Amino acid sequence: MRSAQDPRLPQPPIEPQTDRDSAPYWQALSEGRFELQRCTECAALRWPPRAVCNRCRSFESQWESPPATGRILSWTRTEQVFAEACREIVPYYVVQVALDAQPDILMIGGWLAERTPRSGESVEMDLVRPDPETSTRLPFWKPAETD
Amino acid sequence: MSLRDRVAIAGIGCTEFSRDSGVSTLTLGTRAIMAALEDAGLPPDQLDGVATYRVGDSVLPAVLAQTLGIQDLRYYVDQFGGGSVSHSVVGQAALAVDAGIADYVVCYRALNARSEFRMGGTGRPLVDAVETQYQAPFGYFTPPQQYAMAARAHMERYGTTTAQFGAVAVAQRAFAEKNERALLRMPMTLADHSASRVVVDPFRLFDCCLETDGAVAVLVTSAERARDLKQTPVLISGVSWGSGHTLYSNEQPDPTRTAAADMAPRLFDMAGIRPEEIDVAEIYDCFTYSVLVQLEDYGFCEKGEAGAFVESGATSLGGALPTNTHGGFLSEGYVHGFNHIYEAVSQLRGHAGARQVEGAEVALSTGQAGYISGNSSALILRRDT
Repeated sequence: MRSAQDPRLPQPPIEPQTDRDSAPYWQALSEGRFELQRCTECAALRWPPRAVCNRCRSFESQWESPPATGRILSWTRTEQVFAEACREIVPYYVVQVALDAQPDILMIGGWLAERTPRSGESVEMDLVRPDPETSTRLPFWKPAETD
Repeated sequence: MSLRDRVAIAGIGCTEFSRDSGVSTLTLGTRAIMAALEDAGLPPDQLDGVATYRVGDSVLPAVLAQTLGIQDLRYYVDQFGGGSVSHSVVGQAALAVDAGIADYVVCYRALNARSEFRMGGTGRPLVDAVETQYQAPFGYFTPPQQYAMAARAHMERYGTTTAQFGAVAVAQRAFAEKNERALLRMPMTLADHSASRVVVDPFRLFDCCLETDGAVAVLVTSAERARDLKQTPVLISGVSWGSGHTLYSNEQPDPTRTAAADMAPRLFDMAGIRPEEIDVAEIYDCFTYSVLVQLEDYGFCEKGEAGAFVESGATSLGGALPTNTHGGFLSEGYVHGFNHIYEAVSQLRGHAGARQVEGAEVALSTGQAGYISGNSSALILRRDT
């Protein structure tokens, strides 16, 4: 996936506070890969990253790259300034996407189109790098390209 | 043995609700508790338990207990959390009283949520949520934003409208006009609601609850001991604990269906009643949408129909289910759930004045429906006969 120009992120950027469970997810994103854990026992994907499968309670899993596509479940447009870092970017969209690979996985992300998101529309992930000083990349979503 | 009707609320107290109390949470808490003890007619030296909840924004209950002169505390609860756990704290106290651990437990919430730590606007990151890392980088970190996401999903799936959100706000303001405790008492019309500024689409200012300084306390004791005190006891007929949606929920992938839908059957079963038997409902209204989704999930109307239910006048005085009869968190003040319990008890005692629901015998009071925190709680209260 290519990294898009950042149109709508807090300034200065807010770094994700990674933890021992999430570190591999963020590392993969920083290298341009979207990866989730798949349970070795029951084959379910899980989100967010953690040691145990919520369906079968197995501790065995492997990281893999599911298709970075989904459908818009919901969206918000923030107009109030909730933090100084957001003063220059209001109004901004944040979307909630149901992953095609497993629709009970709901991901929050940024929005790359100029228009309002549409409920149910197909979307694809693009990675955005908010800070040239760090390797962090964040998942944004854009309308899926149609042939 | 069922807990139903074995424990009662024997006293209630509250401070003034304001935008700046000028005093500490310790002072607020002690004022509300002393008022509750006075209301009950209980000598303070008989108090032997304290139960509260907080999000790092209030004094240690141990300090408060010492301040009240309690030498030997027989029971305490110091629950981390906001409105989602609010009603569970009363449940904890009920369990302790019923088990003989303590005789008189005061449950309270004291906060300076307008003049000190503000949940909805300081930009302070959410505490204790490992999932914040997936949201905060996008400038998404407050309850209005997270609730707006669920509200939009409900609108898309069921056709709920912002005018229906407005109907909730307008109905509750009408009650607040008759409530001397309320911070907002100016009449509100649907046009006023839709003219208020957008906070985070689809929420406008009047879709969002207040941030308030204040404290509320309720005294919990056995039904027998409550009958020896000053007020008509209000029996705890049902109490429930439940789950909900955390910030990420692939265990709960439907944002339009809350924990209340799972919790309500257990709650009504414990109380031995059906939803139709509720006379008055105080429903957690951090946002107008929150009332709509809970009206559905507690079984007062079909899924997707709450907007029409409110528009019909059913939740207004004289309607089938008067709701948030104090004006709620939208108009009275926001003590993270506890001012709902206060109002429910007032109604059941027949002390609600111009807002009184005639013949109110049974009330529902709900905590936050499980969004964000993944926890929920609620109470069914019954006037003692």
